[in-house]
Amino acid sequence: MGEELKVIVFGLASEYYGVEVDKVRTIERMMPITRVPKTPAFIKGVINLRGVVIPVIDLRGRFDMEQAEATENSRVIIVAVNDIEVGFIVDSANDVIDIDSDAIDSPPEVIGGIRAKYLRGVAKLNDGRLLVMLNLAEVLNKEEIVQIEQFED
Amino acid sequence: MDMNAYLSMFIDESNDHLQSLNENLLKLESSPDDISIVQIIFRSAHTLKGMSATMGFEDLAALTHEMENVLDLVRNNKLKMDEFIFDTLFKGLDALDAMVQDVVGGGTGKADVSAIVTNLKAIVNPDYKAQGAPKGQTEASPEKSGGEAAAEIELDQFQISVLKQSIETGHQVFHIQVTVQETCVLKAVRAYMVFELLEQSGEVVKSEPSVQDIEQEKFDRSFSVYLITQQSAEDLKARIENISEIESAQVTVMDEESIAMLSKPSRPEAAAVKPEAQKEKAEVKPAAGAPAAAGGGAAVTKTIRVDIDRLDVLMNLFSELLIDRVRLEQLASEIKRGDLTETVEHMARVSGDLQNIVLKLRMVPVESVFNRFPRMVRDLAKTLDKKIDLVISGADTELDRTVIDEIGDPLVHLLRNSLDHGIESVERRVEAGKPETGTVNLRAFHSGNNVFIEIEDDGAGINRERVLSIAVKNGVITAEQGAGMTDEEVYMLLFAPGFSTADKISDISGRGVGLDVVKSKINSLGGAVSVKSQLGKGTIFSIQLPLTLSIISAMLIKLGSEKYAIPLSSIMETSIVRRDQVHHIHGNSMIEFRGAIIPVVSLSKLLESPDFDELTENETEVVIIRKGEKWAAVMVDEFIGQSDIVLKPLGKYLSNTAVVSGATILGDGQVALIIDPNALIK
Repeated sequence: MGEELKVIVFGLASEYYGVEVDKVRTIERMMPITRVPKTPAFIKGVINLRGVVIPVIDLRGRFDMEQAEATENSRVIIVAVNDIEVGFIVDSANDVIDIDSDAIDSPPEVIGGIRAKYLRGVAKLNDGRLLVMLNLAEVLNKEEIVQIEQFED
Repeated sequence: MDMNAYLSMFIDESNDHLQSLNENLLKLESSPDDISIVQIIFRSAHTLKGMSATMGFEDLAALTHEMENVLDLVRNNKLKMDEFIFDTLFKGLDALDAMVQDVVGGGTGKADVSAIVTNLKAIVNPDYKAQGAPKGQTEASPEKSGGEAAAEIELDQFQISVLKQSIETGHQVFHIQVTVQETCVLKAVRAYMVFELLEQSGEVVKSEPSVQDIEQEKFDRSFSVYLITQQSAEDLKARIENISEIESAQVTVMDEESIAMLSKPSRPEAAAVKPEAQKEKAEVKPAAGAPAAAGGGAAVTKTIRVDIDRLDVLMNLFSELLIDRVRLEQLASEIKRGDLTETVEHMARVSGDLQNIVLKLRMVPVESVFNRFPRMVRDLAKTLDKKIDLVISGADTELDRTVIDEIGDPLVHLLRNSLDHGIESVERRVEAGKPETGTVNLRAFHSGNNVFIEIEDDGAGINRERVLSIAVKNGVITAEQGAGMTDEEVYMLLFAPGFSTADKISDISGRGVGLDVVKSKINSLGGAVSVKSQLGKGTIFSIQLPLTLSIISAMLIKLGSEKYAIPLSSIMETSIVRRDQVHHIHGNSMIEFRGAIIPVVSLSKLLESPDFDELTENETEVVIIRKGEKWAAVMVDEFIGQSDIVLKPLGKYLSNTAVVSGATILGDGQVALIIDPNALIK
């Protein structure tokens, strides 16, 4: 029996993803986003979160998924990793669950088109669903962004 | 009592007192006869001693006590300051500082200060012939004061003539010495009651200590006054002793003779009044200097210390309030009810004031960094055997607290560098026809979105060839690279890792690590360093620092649906250009402006604006911006207006975005980006 993890579950396209609850600061409804020019396309811009300016990333864009319009269910999940605070735009965020850290298997090479290094593993839930655990530090890796920018130039 | 609760307070206050001791000692050094400064120093030392003793830092208290002894003699004119005393006192301060720092680091504040203590005792000794008991001071002084007494009297001529006249007109003059009980807690209150009584019955001509000091409880157990009255001595004595907690009141009748003797206290007949007279004598000069001292005291504003995180929280909460205010204003204008509108307007005014205060809270004058430099320069100049004046200007320039905390060390490095390498030795300066004393100017000023701190010396300047040859020798660059470099580029080599221009390595600077560290530190603060130099004339190191969190005035503009802010400081003016006024030269758009041809920048292209293109307009609003000598016209869609905005970082994730230097939150809660005008001019 491993450690018990509290995980926030959110939906992106047809998959379910999870981030540890202690990395999540808050979950917000969609709010006006100010575009920041000269940034990679997946950076949607910045929002005013109670007086603090926070960048917002479209996770679909970050994982090279098909773009989608924001809906009633869309949420911005504000996460804080290594002093970096960022908001993720996700299709829905609706659940907090407990999972056993032993239940997380190392990720297969490719899941839904997301490169394995962004993933911490895959957890099988009691109801049979698969939950993809994100490796936030990699998702927010800035060096890679610089590479993307250079590529775009 | 749990001392830990008071430890941080003790540390903060000790640092303050040490700083004030340092500053005032320096002041005293330049005007050694100003006893009022000694008074201030004495008070700081005394407070420090008291605090240390209370907190149980015996060594600290003991050393302060010795220093206080010296200062006491000085303020009582029994000792003249000389270089040795200054040096010893400064050394004492350094030791105190080290002890306090030890306490900060969780230590016990213990240190071996016997050498300094011995020196201090030696200073006290020659003039301090008495047996060491505190009372000895008054008794020991007469033989020494004999010579001085004629010049300095305990009562000034005016007061003496008042006393004399009072006796002539049939009043009585008493010298009253009041002693409060040992157990008395509120001495000042009792003293006040005595004074009230005395003032009812007559006129107090002079008191020792001064009334001010007595009110602040700055007396031991007794104080004395000269009183003009018509009441009898016995009556007065009885009434004073009637006040509770007063132990005794000694009333001495003064006649013309004894008053006359006050001015010649060395005469043996004056024995009765002598102890007081001596004390009084000590008091006269300070009293003269008292207004200055009191003025100095009043200038020190009362402060409390606040955790900086709390200020951040306050700031963010306030921004939220602001958003609601705007919303309320909107609602009020829709609902159109008189009292609602009035209330909302009032709230808007109050919150406007509140905003100003909240925004200014985080700003700290650079003075808090600069004030340790005079002392440092003095010591360094002595070590280097150079004569150097440090001229500080713009110390009131405000910088964000976080920058203030970080900027100290780089400045120390640069200053040391200027002193060591910049300013020449006295002989060389004389040879070069310069004044013996070198000058280092330390300046801080606002310019645009930045604060500049400049260190300018009138020393030898930077020798391009020497810098190049050393850089080549140390493998920083190759000779070919060096040949093509501009002077500025060569000077910047000083900041390259592994570079040292000092012929010999001194412990002041010149290990070749200093300037390298300076540059990386300043870069990490988002600033930049630059160097200007003229061989033989001097060098200017200029540090440009951003105001990470501060209020700037900005012009808000629109590009289609998007709003941006341009710092007002770099805007020269706004104007409108017609399509046909724009010329195309070499594929670049230019306009004529005030007889000069300046480039036109399309903000919409630069920012990839989704819904605005100035090409669709016949007339375009432009903002003329300036960077140094260069100008440019920036085309925008529409001016919104000018406003004070709070600069907010874009967050670490977007730390280095081109063109955009930060963000701000507008009244409606939306984020607007702040354009970096420097990025618009190439």
